[in-house]
Amino acid sequence: MSVLEKELNEHEKLEQFIARIEAGDKIEADDWMPEEYRMALIKLISMHGISEIMGALPEKEWVPKAPSLRRKLGIMAKVQDEMGHGQLLLRVAEDLLKPYGKDRGDLMMDLFSGKLKFHNVFHMPAKTWADAGVIGWLVDGAAIITQTNMLNSSYGPYSRALHRICAEEVFHAHHGESIIMALAEGTEEQRNMLQESLNGWWEALLMFFGPASSTTTGSSKQDVTIKYKIRTSTNEELRQSFFTKYIPRIQSLGLTIPDPTFRFDEEQQLWIYQQPDWTKFKQIITNNGPRSQARLNLRRVSYETNAWVRDALSAVSN
Amino acid sequence: MEQKKTFYHEFEVFSKRTPSSSFQHQFSLLAPNAEMAMVMAQENFMRREPVADIWVIQREHIRGLSKEEKTALNRLDNKDYREMKGYGYLKKKWRFYQQKMFDEKEILSWSGGNKHD
Repeated sequence: MSVLEKELNEHEKLEQFIARIEAGDKIEADDWMPEEYRMALIKLISMHGISEIMGALPEKEWVPKAPSLRRKLGIMAKVQDEMGHGQLLLRVAEDLLKPYGKDRGDLMMDLFSGKLKFHNVFHMPAKTWADAGVIGWLVDGAAIITQTNMLNSSYGPYSRALHRICAEEVFHAHHGESIIMALAEGTEEQRNMLQESLNGWWEALLMFFGPASSTTTGSSKQDVTIKYKIRTSTNEELRQSFFTKYIPRIQSLGLTIPDPTFRFDEEQQLWIYQQPDWTKFKQIITNNGPRSQARLNLRRVSYETNAWVRDALSAVSN
Repeated sequence: MEQKKTFYHEFEVFSKRTPSSSFQHQFSLLAPNAEMAMVMAQENFMRREPVADIWVIQREHIRGLSKEEKTALNRLDNKDYREMKGYGYLKKKWRFYQQKMFDEKEILSWSGGNKHD
């Protein structure tokens, strides 16, 4: 450590750090950062990264069952992208974890033990081809809203990863739209399948943005992440923005929002909606959702089955 | 250098889009060796964009700058003799002699070959 650095006490370092963030400067992995900032980033980015990987699983189920070769190629490409996003984000998380002597292996173990959670939507079943479409259209649509909200994150490596990710998410959104468009313009059976899929995913989509405040579920990272300019908008602002962008499109296809109380309040300039069951949300993200254990097992088995490859290659590399 | 026996080594990936473009940093990845890093680089970062060449470099072989060294990068604003703006007055001079200034744009446009119009 240099003389210059020794002279600064923790308080001065923090002041300098905040001044850098306020000035729009980007923080890099080996820069000094307050513990609270590092911890918030690790939690956010490891959860984001592992969710990309777990998120590939419900869609992967549709690769062998896709209705045409072109659809199969499209969904395979998307599944591969999601895994790629997971790789990028885990790299960002690993560099942050360095002072603790932890790496990717530890993150995997945290996933298996339930310490590291993944997004609520990826605990849900993808029963029909319409589900595959709705995941691409609306789940990815919701993800685009939360991710673009962090494109200018104060943490440089995360911001750069998100720029790569969001560029590909545009393709995912179009891929999903292409599937649902074919169904929306298809037979009555196909239209019904699409409506049922929307009904099934609606609550999960609302939950995706997280509770409006920590009073709902007991904890929320949004205050800390906004304070440090990791993100700009609150959960509720993002949910409202999702409604504004997607509700007109959903309705234009003749689909019904599965919430009779749903409306736009002109006076408040807000969408009014039935709150999802936040108790259920907590159950789902603590790995008690419909497909939580099955998907964790799939990941666990593949991690264990491939352990010999990691052993063999680490022995010969220099 | 003694290395930890691990599957996970950090590599930085650089690539260029076309034969004439410069290498650009893409991102980092983990791989057990350079050969795997090369495969991973293509899988991770080059699924769509055109690519003409790729470098993978183990991160520990990169000499970067420390925080103090970075502070020495700040430029003093007294180098106009090295820059175009230090010679901007010539434009007016040439105008006096009824000539056009050969500015950067003009000079670089000569790459198309010199022809008599």
